[in-house]
Amino acid sequence: MVDANKQDRLTVGLGLAAAVMAGICWFYGLRFAPTDQAQGEVYRILYFHVPSAFTAFLFSALLMFFSIWTLFKRSPGGALWAKATAEVGLIFTIITLMTGSIWGRPTWGVWWDWDARLTTTLILALLYAGYLIFTSSMAPGPSRDRMAAALGVIIAIDVPIIYKSVTWWRTLHQPPSLMRQGGSTMDPAMVRTLMMCWAAMTLLAVWMLWTRAVNLRLQQRIEEHSHGVHN
Amino acid sequence: MKRFFTQYRAMLWQNLQVEWTNSERWLSPLLFSATMILLFAFSFGQVKQEFLPQLFIAATFLTAFFSLQIAFSRVLEPDMQDRVFEQLRTYPVSPSAWFLSKYTIVILLGILILIPTLFLSNLFLNETGAPLLSSGLFLIGLGSLLSLGALGVLLSTMMLRSNAKQILYPLIYFPLTTPVLLSAVESSRAILVDGKDLSYLLSSWLGLLVIFGIMYFTLCLLLFGELVKPE
Repeated sequence: MVDANKQDRLTVGLGLAAAVMAGICWFYGLRFAPTDQAQGEVYRILYFHVPSAFTAFLFSALLMFFSIWTLFKRSPGGALWAKATAEVGLIFTIITLMTGSIWGRPTWGVWWDWDARLTTTLILALLYAGYLIFTSSMAPGPSRDRMAAALGVIIAIDVPIIYKSVTWWRTLHQPPSLMRQGGSTMDPAMVRTLMMCWAAMTLLAVWMLWTRAVNLRLQQRIEEHSHGVHN
Repeated sequence: MKRFFTQYRAMLWQNLQVEWTNSERWLSPLLFSATMILLFAFSFGQVKQEFLPQLFIAATFLTAFFSLQIAFSRVLEPDMQDRVFEQLRTYPVSPSAWFLSKYTIVILLGILILIPTLFLSNLFLNETGAPLLSSGLFLIGLGSLLSLGALGVLLSTMMLRSNAKQILYPLIYFPLTTPVLLSAVESSRAILVDGKDLSYLLSSWLGLLVIFGIMYFTLCLLLFGELVKPE
């Protein structure tokens, strides 16, 4: 019981730290970061949009890690973390799509376009959703864990290639201004703020992942006691 | 090695017999393909000569991908009858031989669907009779089939125990096929519209198709063994 209380306090503490850090970073980005020459104030959504996108793609790498762990170690724990990763990844992909759409309206004049980055991100959201529906549609057990892990590996390996191939195809989205040959084209103050926002967003995502994994673990224990699965 | 080939030949022969005795399994995707082409031809009506190659490529590949998806999703259905699938899992059968026999069947079924689709598309969409069919186009189609076949077998195995496979299969299959669809469409466009040859394309879109083919085949071959391991 003491351990559970300690864990609860740690979870709440980490969540509060992430929320405060994110609040400070976004406030700084909205209030103090320099104004963009071309886009004016509207660009400030970047401090929410880009970190969400980075986090969503980072979580596809985490999904691969946990999937490989499940396949090699035959551990239900790995499958549980993989599922939590896909759930949090889906949330951040949806945030990326929504903020991108909001940003696109004043800059491109449309809420949505079949642009490379938008299409890629939508594909990622579909893959995360497919993975989650797949895991929910099967009876719990080692067989489901292995199949979900195989799917997780395929999805994670596909993401960078889909990302690149659609970019090669056609794009309305601006080319990378941060990670490009010849250095960043952004103001150093903007880059610093963006990196802080990304760190805050990642911390928030890690907290969500941790909380969800704990919940899933509890759910798994209840299932084990109720139905005798994972014997 | 001899044992591997014996197992491969035996399973392939058994699969061929099953497919041969039940022609509905390859006829229904083919009829679906003919219906789709007719719908495309009807909905587009008279098309300007300069847009014809683009329409031809888009309609043909979309139709082929949809029809192949139907064929792929049913590839393990015969094994589920009389618990053959469960028995094979417990026998000392090489998973690679099992996978390769299914892969060969999928490729044969795919060819039975893909080639008539190309001819039907040319017949219904190409009213002017311009020479759109070429050996290059057939090779691109075959390349796409080789890439998608492996993915088809793996996803079909994953979906065996899923309660929502009718929805899930296309939901996962289509996002994963994006790079193959893109490279097949762009390669065909380069041949038909820009007049490029295959050797030129190997360093660009066709190269991506080949890379994808190799990656999917290797990954699916490795993961298939994990999926069919007895619990």
